Amino acid sequence: MFQVYLPIAEISVNLVVMLGLGAAVGFLSGMFGVGGGFLLTPFLIVSGIPASIAVATGANQIVATSASGALAQWRRGTVDLRMGAVLIAGGVAGALGGVLLLKFLREAGQAGLIVSLTYVGLLGVVGALMLNESVRAIRRARKGKPAPARRSGQHSWIHRLPLKLRFTRSHLYISAVPALLIGAITGLLTAFLGVGGGFLMVPAMIYLLRMPTNVVIGTSLFQIVFVTALVTVLHATLSQTLDVVLAFILAAGGVIGGQYGVRAGQKLKGEQLRALLALMVLAVAIRLAFGLVLPPSELFSIAPVGEGA
Amino acid sequence: MKTAINCAALIVVLAGSLAPAAAQDQVQVTEPVPREEVQSEISTREIAIQSNFTGIEILIYGSVDFSQAGTPDTGKYDVIVVIRSPAEPLVMRRKERVAGIWVNGPGRVYPSVPGFYAVSSTRPFRAIASDETLKKLGIGFTNLDFGRPAAGSPDEETFRTALIRLKVKQQLFQEHDDAVSFVGRSLFKTTVALPVKVPIGRYTSDIYLFRDGKIITVNQSTLEVTKVGFEGLVYRFAFAYPFLYGVFAVVIAVLAGLTGWYVFRRE
Repeated sequence: MFQVYLPIAEISVNLVVMLGLGAAVGFLSGMFGVGGGFLLTPFLIVSGIPASIAVATGANQIVATSASGALAQWRRGTVDLRMGAVLIAGGVAGALGGVLLLKFLREAGQAGLIVSLTYVGLLGVVGALMLNESVRAIRRARKGKPAPARRSGQHSWIHRLPLKLRFTRSHLYISAVPALLIGAITGLLTAFLGVGGGFLMVPAMIYLLRMPTNVVIGTSLFQIVFVTALVTVLHATLSQTLDVVLAFILAAGGVIGGQYGVRAGQKLKGEQLRALLALMVLAVAIRLAFGLVLPPSELFSIAPVGEGA
Repeated sequence: MKTAINCAALIVVLAGSLAPAAAQDQVQVTEPVPREEVQSEISTREIAIQSNFTGIEILIYGSVDFSQAGTPDTGKYDVIVVIRSPAEPLVMRRKERVAGIWVNGPGRVYPSVPGFYAVSSTRPFRAIASDETLKKLGIGFTNLDFGRPAAGSPDEETFRTALIRLKVKQQLFQEHDDAVSFVGRSLFKTTVALPVKVPIGRYTSDIYLFRDGKIITVNQSTLEVTKVGFEGLVYRFAFAYPFLYGVFAVVIAVLAGLTGWYVFRRE
């Protein structure tokens, strides 16, 4: 029933299951205000989509979810264009590197392994940090203490770097180097893992660049739209791993799920949301780790030459 | 075979000379007994893979011209039908445990493995012809040449067996004994199920006609498996114009995102 043949993945999937998957991830990303790529790509891998196709298609899906967010932020005037441009410049370099790295690993038959391993490491660390932070915040809220005030901007090593630029909207006069680096790392993750990278970029912008919080989300979304779009095109061009049919099904589910997610998210407190998200991130990491450690039911695998699991 | 015909002719000639009145018999004898030939047809020569494709069953039928069989169940003839898709290079890997994690080991390349391969026969094909003949014709999994020199090492054998096992599991390799049946003195038929993962390309269907363990004739025809409709378009688009395909995917994604935003916006 409702089987849909995916022309690039060359498998038949259930339309309802994939729409549901897209909607569930969209719901979560709307609720938590994240891109959802770090949930979607592992889910796709677990449900049998080859890792490299899951990554390329995941990146395309984030274009859909972040485009509407970026537009809304743009209209509110919360995008620092110059900072966005610097982040995109870094992102382009990172994306190229990531696409070539994934292509190389795929041809060596190790893409599935390395992508899963990176996910386990990244999600494990991010999940643990978030859980720790949110549990503390919940405890603090129960005791009725206010959140500790952020330390004011100190002159750190970042201010000694060359290539200083003035970022008017962020009220900053700092070197472009850290922003370029942040953009590059995010771009690498986008190309390699099929994530938007907001979960890394947003804290880095707040704590490293000390950007005002009100422009952080808009500027990161702005970067994500462009970098995920570029990654989609690069994967399609260099390794033909983008399945547009799968991407469309996921996007359709994701857009609808996302809207309900936003409404559900507004009913929960911030720290509760973060704790929930942290638990989910950890669950995904553990599920992927099991796949790597448990003895596989089938030791052998076949693939066309030039491709791999 | 030729000697068999000659012997039959000789017997008839002898019979004729014993009964000179039967002059008509002699006329028939001077013409050699016509050699059997196979005509065949496939129910679907063009298989179109589209969005609802979940596999297809094709019917292959044919007839033995100049059949000398008396009744359908004499078992005078044996038919082996072999369907194969173009061979392609494959890489085979085995997972190995490295530091507690299961990792793909180095790949082994098999230069020419049929994407799809199915053998159907009137009875177990090993009983129909000698191993030598089957090997020469490439009938049966074990007689397939994947273009990789068989070193005869047990490891090589394990990989080869695993390759066949995986292909069988995906229904891309099939062996069906007793799947070809005669419905008359000369008419035979069989069905072959092509699974969802069937590769695209021009397939060949070889029909081998055997009598007494000897191959009499071969009939070859082709069938085409293509991706059509929307799926075919997407597939060709993705490989012929990969850059435009990527841009197209991005545009679709942006439109989907903006549509969602527009439909659900609160005003």
